[in-house]
Amino acid sequence: MTPKRGPRFKAVLAMLLSVIPAVGQAQTGNIPRGPDGKPDLSGVWQVLNSAAWDLQDHTGALNFPPGQSVVEGGTIPYLPAAAAKQRDNFEHRETDDPAEVTCYLPGVPRVTYMPFPFEIIQTPKVIVFSYEFAHARRHVFTDGSPHPAGFPDFWMGDSRGRWEGDTLVVDVTNLDERTWLDHAGNFHSDALHVVERYTPIDASHLMYEATLEDPKVFSRPWKISMPLYRRIDKNVKILEYECVYYLQDKRYSNAKPVGVPQ
Amino acid sequence: MNAVLSRISVATAVLAFVVTAVPLNGQEKAAAKYVAPRTADNHPDMQGAWARRGVGLQEANAPSTPLGDFGSTGQPYPTVFNTGVFTTQDRSVLQGRPAGVIDPADRVLPWRPEADAARRAFIPKMIPPASLAYVEKAARCVLPGPLEADDRHPYQIIQRPGYFVMMYEYNHVTRVIPTDGRAHVGSNIRLFMGDPVGHWEGETLVVDTTNFNDKTSLGRTVPYHSDALHTVERFTRIDPNILDYQITIEDPKMFTRPIKIAGTFQAADPKTELMEFACAEGSQVLPNVFGFELAPGRAQAGK
Repeated sequence: MTPKRGPRFKAVLAMLLSVIPAVGQAQTGNIPRGPDGKPDLSGVWQVLNSAAWDLQDHTGALNFPPGQSVVEGGTIPYLPAAAAKQRDNFEHRETDDPAEVTCYLPGVPRVTYMPFPFEIIQTPKVIVFSYEFAHARRHVFTDGSPHPAGFPDFWMGDSRGRWEGDTLVVDVTNLDERTWLDHAGNFHSDALHVVERYTPIDASHLMYEATLEDPKVFSRPWKISMPLYRRIDKNVKILEYECVYYLQDKRYSNAKPVGVPQ
Repeated sequence: MNAVLSRISVATAVLAFVVTAVPLNGQEKAAAKYVAPRTADNHPDMQGAWARRGVGLQEANAPSTPLGDFGSTGQPYPTVFNTGVFTTQDRSVLQGRPAGVIDPADRVLPWRPEADAARRAFIPKMIPPASLAYVEKAARCVLPGPLEADDRHPYQIIQRPGYFVMMYEYNHVTRVIPTDGRAHVGSNIRLFMGDPVGHWEGETLVVDTTNFNDKTSLGRTVPYHSDALHTVERFTRIDPNILDYQITIEDPKMFTRPIKIAGTFQAADPKTELMEFACAEGSQVLPNVFGFELAPGRAQAGK
């Protein structure tokens, strides 16, 4: 090959390579893509399961819909002391669940499978996740930036994303230890590290996977997975579920102030 | 002093001559007026981090309100991060920019007499609060409504075809503003932040917001509004570092005519990342006012 033919050969090769992903797209059901060729995850999504009540197999009860485990292998690999704490949490779930009862921000990954929709707004450098529950929000930076050093813990953690083929991989650290993983009292410590994977299946479905690593609570990393369904309702919009405000009204509407502390 | 002034006059005259000469050349005329960079769908690009300045409903002849920061409850400001916004310019760029109420020009708000009387009776009961209804809205960590975000926190705008998204660090407010021509949600749906829909008028994004509830405040002397509230906002990028901002507040149950407020979004340090403002999670205001915890369980705020 002469040096003169080099650029043309490269151009042909590039063309051939550009054809190959097009075949892949057809196989994955024509998923939406942005100008950069990456899948475009923008839209309103929601789960259809009862993982928010219990990630593992559970029988139905009053205000507790039944469901099968979303945990790979079925059960969460607790260390012995942590298993006892989970059982205690379960006993006190009607008063102690920080999201369902106290209306705190639900953390990651629980916010994903709360029974409320959320909207993904994708731009090249940041992908915003806006959740209806408690107007929670996450910024997933995809500009190659690392987790900031020396930051405190956040209820919703610090999220940094990258693309692996058609999968958005989100690394989440700085997670506050006070959130639970579900209403059954499954929990974690401040050592929790979550890696989420969002993979388009077709135009209206994403597969969501999250690997949880927390050596203070679990004997090994473990994984959950579930589909996310696109809300194709006409004019679908994220509205407001202002849990804290409703709870304040319920608790304090008829209460008398005890005075103003100085 | 006169010499200085006359030198400025000469300079102004020369400048005026140069400026009047410019229109002779069509291309240069176009260059003289700032045109914002464009997004992929050819609308003005306003993306980035911004500091909001000057937006507020200051009122002339207002009743006295001894409310300090959360003064009605005596409680400190909740735990927050990133309370300073670092701008790329010093604040002198804001000098001469319109700020606050610009119509009515005298800032005497066009109150309906009965609404004015009602809020004058309401305000004294906020200190200390007579009941939950009189607790200052911000002390409840409620979403701030159209005016009451705390501007010590930065904002970030992102755009996609059909969407203009405004994110506040303050109380992690996200306004997803569709610009695809859709209508407002049904009138029975009531929202703290209202239902915004936007459209482009050349260089300006116009945002029409309805469907407000009556649970937010408009300012220190306007502690509430009605659910008839309607706002129209105009965002125009007039400079690389300035978004001109105007908001018209209309509430026919409170005021006899619309009120117009002006302000500025000033470019913030481009490295700005909004941090987490977890207000309710860190606040002990209501438990201290009422003497018992918000939730019955062992997990309590601020611990």
